[in-house]
Amino acid sequence: MSAIGSMPGLDPVIHAQARLRVMVALAALTAGDQITFPRLQQLLDMTAGNLSTHLRKLEDAGYVQITKTYQRRTPVTYVALTSPGLRAFEDYIAALRLLLPPTEQPGG
Amino acid sequence: MSADETGARLDEDSPLSAEESLALIERQQREVHRRLGVNVALFYGPWGAAYLLGFGAIFLTYPTAVAVRLPAAVAIAITVVLFASAVVITAVTGARAGRGLRGPSQAAGAMYGWSWGLGFCALGVVNTGVTRLGLPDDAVTLLWSGSSLLLVGVLYLGGGALFQDRFQYGLGAWMLLSGAVSVFAGVPGNFAVVALAGGGGLLLAAGYFALRPPRPRP
Repeated sequence: MSAIGSMPGLDPVIHAQARLRVMVALAALTAGDQITFPRLQQLLDMTAGNLSTHLRKLEDAGYVQITKTYQRRTPVTYVALTSPGLRAFEDYIAALRLLLPPTEQPGG
Repeated sequence: MSADETGARLDEDSPLSAEESLALIERQQREVHRRLGVNVALFYGPWGAAYLLGFGAIFLTYPTAVAVRLPAAVAIAITVVLFASAVVITAVTGARAGRGLRGPSQAAGAMYGWSWGLGFCALGVVNTGVTRLGLPDDAVTLLWSGSSLLLVGVLYLGGGALFQDRFQYGLGAWMLLSGAVSVFAGVPGNFAVVALAGGGGLLLAAGYFALRPPRPRP
């Protein structure tokens, strides 16, 4: 199967390496948990600029929620997956599985 | 700099096949679990060492079948240093685990951490209060070793339930059993039971968690 370029049925917001990695990291958190921007950046080994760009695209799609707050007068940015984001991620994985060649039937 | 950025972007945005995409998801999931995961062995190893060597040293201050005899001061020094180190290592590991995270898992973890401190404060008050009424020395010793292991066991049962970890729950049951047996072993046998069964169980748990691959958070 030569699946090159934007594949039909695959969410283009998620189907890009960097954003896919962001989604995987956020989906790995306990439901309802939020992660700070620097910890997420460290988790993914991404530059701050690169991560911001991709987070903005994910936020525009409604997949992530970005909360800016203060802790001891220092600004802190928290990132978390939204419920539509989690659903989109699960749909994306289900769509990928459908694109795989069918597995061998046992005994066939 | 802009050339670098373009290069990185081209590479990152290069299209993925379904297979590549699924492989990337799996790789990234493993990496995230590894980096977010706590080194759980650090919650058990230092305590196992403290139980085994600390209570083992106290056991050796009594005249027993073992040929070695330790002065009480040495045994107490070993025990205090090892237990203080275990408290520090556990507290630092626990605090580091939540770095950069907030939400329900952090609240649950903090409450669980505090249950250890609260539980042992209450245990100290109760045991001291009972002891003040006048108990034989051996009874005081057995009261402390038995009740401490009982509390440790119950807290591991709770931890197993909270973190959905059957192994930790099993360790809790083992500590309850060790605590009960220690009381019937008498003095100084109770110290041998706490050191070998309690400390040994904790060290086995540390080994198990060191070898177990990182798991997703519940």
